Amino acid sequence: MAALSFACLCALPVAAQETAQVLIAEKALICGAEGRETINHAAVVIVDGRIEAIGRAEEVEFPDGAVVQDLGSRWIMPGMVDLHSHIAGSGHNGPVFQCNPGLRVSAGVTPHNEKLKLGMLAGVTTVLYIPGSATNMGGQGVLLKTGPGDYEEILVRFPGSLKVAQGNNPRRWGYGMANTMMNHQIRVTLRKGKAYAKRWEAYERGERERPERHLHLDIFRDLEAKRTQISMHTQYYQVVLSSLNIMAGEFGFDAYIDHGSFDSWPLAQLAEELGVAAILGPREVLWPRARTYPKDGRVEGSAWGFQKEGHPRIGFNTDAPVVPQEELPLQSAMGVRYGFDNREFAAVRGVTIVPAEVAGIDHQVGSLAAGKDADILVVTGDPSDPRSAVEMVWIEGEVVADVRGKYETERAEVRRW
Amino acid sequence: MRHTMKHLFSLLTTLAFAVPTVASDSVVGEPGVEGGLAILTKKALCVPLEGQQVVNNAVVLVRDGKIEAVGPRNSTAIPSGYEVLDVGDNWVMPGMVDLHCHVAGTFDINDMVYLTNPGVRASTSVVPNNPPLLRGVAGGVTSVLFIPGSGTNIGGQGVLLKTALPTFEGMRIKDPGSMKLAQAGNPERYMFRVGRSFMNYNTRNTFRRGVAYAKSWEAYERGEGERPKKDIQFEVFRSLVKDDIRVSTHTQIYQVVNMTIQMVAKEMGVPVFIDHGTFDGWRAADMAQEAGVNAILGPRNIDVPTASFISWSGSNPERIQGVAAGYQEMGHKMIGFNTDSPVIPEEELQLQAGIGMRYGFDDSNLEAVRGLTIVPATTARIGHLVGSIEPGKDADLLVISGHPADPRSSVETVFIEGHKVYDPAVQKRRW
Repeated sequence: MAALSFACLCALPVAAQETAQVLIAEKALICGAEGRETINHAAVVIVDGRIEAIGRAEEVEFPDGAVVQDLGSRWIMPGMVDLHSHIAGSGHNGPVFQCNPGLRVSAGVTPHNEKLKLGMLAGVTTVLYIPGSATNMGGQGVLLKTGPGDYEEILVRFPGSLKVAQGNNPRRWGYGMANTMMNHQIRVTLRKGKAYAKRWEAYERGERERPERHLHLDIFRDLEAKRTQISMHTQYYQVVLSSLNIMAGEFGFDAYIDHGSFDSWPLAQLAEELGVAAILGPREVLWPRARTYPKDGRVEGSAWGFQKEGHPRIGFNTDAPVVPQEELPLQSAMGVRYGFDNREFAAVRGVTIVPAEVAGIDHQVGSLAAGKDADILVVTGDPSDPRSAVEMVWIEGEVVADVRGKYETERAEVRRW
Repeated sequence: MRHTMKHLFSLLTTLAFAVPTVASDSVVGEPGVEGGLAILTKKALCVPLEGQQVVNNAVVLVRDGKIEAVGPRNSTAIPSGYEVLDVGDNWVMPGMVDLHCHVAGTFDINDMVYLTNPGVRASTSVVPNNPPLLRGVAGGVTSVLFIPGSGTNIGGQGVLLKTALPTFEGMRIKDPGSMKLAQAGNPERYMFRVGRSFMNYNTRNTFRRGVAYAKSWEAYERGEGERPKKDIQFEVFRSLVKDDIRVSTHTQIYQVVNMTIQMVAKEMGVPVFIDHGTFDGWRAADMAQEAGVNAILGPRNIDVPTASFISWSGSNPERIQGVAAGYQEMGHKMIGFNTDSPVIPEEELQLQAGIGMRYGFDDSNLEAVRGLTIVPATTARIGHLVGSIEPGKDADLLVISGHPADPRSSVETVFIEGHKVYDPAVQKRRW
């Protein structure tokens, strides 16, 4: 038996060696853990759906029999990650109760549907598909790849997050609900959930009897064990303040700002102290308004504000379909337009490694590094320039889109735009 | 002394952010001031209608509010006494021109008493230096066509304005600047349930009367008839028939773009351009090109297939169609961009061209830059004044960090008629 297992283990790499692929590009944007990291004249080795090696083309060892493709002047980068997407299926708002931590969007997934496909063609390879914001807790999100395959094949992680929504949208729920009551209700649910998770932990340590199972609170066991996070649909100052203080401060969950916009950036330092990352969008600017935001007539970029305050983890989201899934890179470009410093490729990192780390899936996606999924984009130039085009998309070592060189000649036939 | 005065001017503009002061006798290059300004740049995007589009390592000479000369540094002499402004790696380009703007004043520009209102004037609502317009200046917009809304088929007369000058008289380029025609969609909300066929009938009726009015004045001016009775409702048609101004048509889907061409351009013979061109209007682009109908596109620069509204046929029905790419591929040569501000904020005019490129618009001959400058200027019949860097034109110039269709490029300085109206080095940046 042991011998058989050993044989199987050995067989895998051998089979993979036969399908090894090598891409050579003018420039690779690595998007590693720290700073500006690029490799000129780079080669990436793809074996069995994963990146086996990446480095300067002269230095990387190519496996025997590898299929080598030279991409010429094109760049490569990791597939993009969007942590705020509503288009991977249907039926994700079930506003019967005000807090619904037991609801699962995974029940509504339609893999590789038309809208996801468009996003994929623009380079979005992973999304957090989450419930809507009609209640304070819409339910559990799911992390998915955007490419073809059945649910199990595209699944990255479930539960992907617990979605909490604050501010305006959930007020529509009914009975004159406003911020103070909503925050109270969120706290009540979080307390119940945390207590439930602690009872189970005590049981697992053998310190108490098996607790009664509550489906709607099970997600808190994942949250308490840091296996998932709270994605907080939060936007303007006072709401973000309560997001930070309640979710991260009082209850100590892994939580991040998702859909960050308006004037939330003055809270950047508090967010950083509490370890809360800022994923920003769909509204990337704050416009001056006479009463609420006078701002001296100045337009303020959300990402600019967070960066100015020294926040180290700033990413971008679409809220698709509010901003179409295929415009994720444009979100980061708008950040740059309104003051976000991109000299260290922060705009590219903000749609790759930052959201991957924030969602706890950076061991698998978000950068070009050995051992990670071969989710790779081939782009005509700097991806934070919206005039650059994604010409080839790889997901887990498979080519899921390839329109290289056909832009001029056959666009009407092969491209989506 | 001059330096001190300049410093004072800068200080004044810094203090008076909301209303930049345009001092009349302080800085070289401005109208009425002796001496001139020589701007040195790595790249001047001159974009004349015909001829050399780019000058590398250029010098642009500005004097008395006008462009005096432009050429390569090694063959263009800088007259003695000229102040030199070296903008380093930044580029210089003409100020941008937006032909679909609703933010140059108050919003009482959509009176809906009659279905066609050719006598109504947007110029009565202008508020110089209002905040949305000043944000447009920070985005490089120096000229706008401020037009009535689309609540009726003829909302009235637009006015062509410079953006950052302190008085209406100073801002005014041309009044009337256009006659605004609107089709489909919005004007259908007019009471009495008007539909497209009735709207077209009513519009034709107004145009026939207007053209007849203009022709009777032309006959009188040739000495061929009695002096017609003046009718201020139809006066605008006299400018239209002379092609001194044009009809700016809020038009969008194929069938109404077709009506713009068939009814206004061909049947009435009135010069007209597509303004607010969107959706599948590009399918009429070959007819528009042939009829001399220019295409100014926005605020919606892509078309997404929508079942039962617009369903593409052919081999690739799921595609997103770039509107500008569609017009271009159908052979249209005069394609520009607009915002429809505040629908798209005035400061995002350049982004409209960026979206055009993202969705397939070819810029290999600077079409995107031209679409923000010389194309709209020519279209609105002010191409002799603005829209390119050519001797004799107004010194409406932008110093910009890169290609204007890249939204990451930032406008560093804005000149209008030689006045430095936006300079984040001394003023507050607007973002």
